[in-house]
Amino acid sequence: MSADSSTSPIKLSRWGTLGALSQQYGIVLAFFVLCGFLSVLNNNFYSIGNLVNILKQTSINGILASGMTLVVLTRGIDLSVGSVAAYAGLVAASFAHGTSPQPAWIAVCAGLVVGLGCGLANGLLVARLAVPPFVATLGMLSVARGLTFIYSDGQPIPDLSKSFSYLGEGILFQCPVPWFDGQEVLRVPIPILIFLLVVAVLWFVLNKTTFGRYIYAVGGNERSAKTAGIGTKKVMVAAYVISGLLAALGGIILTGRTGSGLPQAGQSYELDAIAAVVIGGTSLSGGVGTISGTLVGALIIGVINNGLDLLGVSSYYQQVVKGCIIVGAVLLDSARHSRE
Amino acid sequence: MRFRIGTFAPMLAALCGFTPLVHAANDKPIKIAAAVYGLKAEFMQLWTAALNKHPAVKSGLAKVTVFDGKYDANTQNDQFDTMITQKYDAIIFVPIDIQAGAKAVEKANEAKIPVIGSNTRVNSDLLTAYIGSNDVLSGKMEAEAVLSKMGNKGNVVIIEGPIGQSAQIERRKGNLEAVKAQPDVKILEMKTANWSRAEALTLTEDWLTSHKGQIKGIIGQNDEMALGAIQAIKQAGLNLGDFDIAGIDGVTDALLAVKRGEMTSILQDANAQAQGALDLALHAVLGDSYQPQSPIWQQYAQGMPWNGGKDKVYNVPWTPVTAENVDALLKDRQESQK
Repeated sequence: MSADSSTSPIKLSRWGTLGALSQQYGIVLAFFVLCGFLSVLNNNFYSIGNLVNILKQTSINGILASGMTLVVLTRGIDLSVGSVAAYAGLVAASFAHGTSPQPAWIAVCAGLVVGLGCGLANGLLVARLAVPPFVATLGMLSVARGLTFIYSDGQPIPDLSKSFSYLGEGILFQCPVPWFDGQEVLRVPIPILIFLLVVAVLWFVLNKTTFGRYIYAVGGNERSAKTAGIGTKKVMVAAYVISGLLAALGGIILTGRTGSGLPQAGQSYELDAIAAVVIGGTSLSGGVGTISGTLVGALIIGVINNGLDLLGVSSYYQQVVKGCIIVGAVLLDSARHSRE
Repeated sequence: MRFRIGTFAPMLAALCGFTPLVHAANDKPIKIAAAVYGLKAEFMQLWTAALNKHPAVKSGLAKVTVFDGKYDANTQNDQFDTMITQKYDAIIFVPIDIQAGAKAVEKANEAKIPVIGSNTRVNSDLLTAYIGSNDVLSGKMEAEAVLSKMGNKGNVVIIEGPIGQSAQIERRKGNLEAVKAQPDVKILEMKTANWSRAEALTLTEDWLTSHKGQIKGIIGQNDEMALGAIQAIKQAGLNLGDFDIAGIDGVTDALLAVKRGEMTSILQDANAQAQGALDLALHAVLGDSYQPQSPIWQQYAQGMPWNGGKDKVYNVPWTPVTAENVDALLKDRQESQK
């Protein structure tokens, strides 16, 4: 685990990319094997409609997992994303419901502010007060959930305006795709577009900006990074703030899709987000991982959920399967580390 | 490479184990999706088991796929998307949330898939039919049972289901109706324990401490929570006889508790709600020529006639569990689980 202690930040991110590529290639291969397998077992799996469904169902978790990737890269973790998503979604819903709702953008901003606040609190606890990330975000998980119930007195907030729900249930294009499946029409739901946009932006940030390199540096070896002059505390706070913002975004989309602000929404969503990150090859010890890996990891989870549902596999067994895959992915990760 | 295959082998093996490798030889069975809100507690497990025992499923006329909503409205919504894409012939819906469920029904309606509601309600007039039990009535019945045991005076606490689910909303209505009718009865606390025995245990423990010696009646909106309250009382070393406790559902542990004189309960017929829903779904798909196959229609011929499968609402009667009928009910339960 401390194999990288003597390397400088620049070398680290280059190794990071190489190691990540080999890991990534394996995941992509596994993903296609999985899809192929499921499409053999159920001929309804491989259709435009189902594939779009999988992407849509993966979007919210994918957005949460993207923020989680940044945090995990800094050798942290964010257990609060599920609660923050619910909190932000509920607050946003409170601005967008009833007979005279606020304009959608105000509601969305309100939700994002909630995410920013929670993320900032997490970041400050971890970076400035040296609270271990697990503990800090565990506390936030509880606090945010409690605040969510307090905010609406435990009641759901239904009746949301169409413009607000657009983020969750809107559809952008509609074009027939005769080359794929005859009469099928390709409808791209907005959540998918938002998800892909988030991934693209984070990819750019992590790979093409100085801040991105700093993230890898801080996660790889905080001390070396500090010695090299990087403001490690600021980087870490930023990572948690981004995670909070993306959790809020996920929550807003979730609320739009559900049509109701539900205080009990998002429970245990952090587990699927962490699973996506881990399966995607990002190491829990920081410094290693890619956003594209998380994308594939999230897709794998989405495919498993969808595929097993289609096959009529009991949800009890689905949980076992998911757990095995997560552990398997981590074993892979530690095997790769010990090979160095 | 070896590692990766080894990693995924258990998963592949698991998938193989649960795949129907042989396709149905004759005409394709009717695809029915059952979207249940969650399978962690006994009532929905009984419901699901009863659904799978329906004659139409056993004969291969219908193929039922159960989608576990994991107590999450978003998950149920996602599953509806899957059902629509997969072109299911009909959906039986037990929603977790009365409002969020309306969206799901709307989507299915647009895709021209009939949705039959069962057990819990949804705020939508797009349902083809609904079969369930009147929760306001059962809320009132259980509260009245507790209050009359209390001599219609004293303090009660009410343990609620998940806020926003129709059963919670309506049983609360019934509970409050009964309590408000008794001027000498006061409600000390009313909080949710989300249908969970464990949560209700903790809640009751806390209440026993904060309202020491003041609680007489405990109204649990379902059996699991009432059972949790009973455990809390036992663990606190208090005398169970000093309390009057009621639940709803008639799950097995509750039937046993009624037999021991620890609580009262009202049986909710999961069997009728599940199998009745399937008959209604098949009628929606096959039309008026379809005759219902479940024995429940004979069982409830008086209280809930088939009426050609055309009614919008089917009310499954409640069966209060008493010392007289509990043995027979327990025997029925054992039979149904064979």
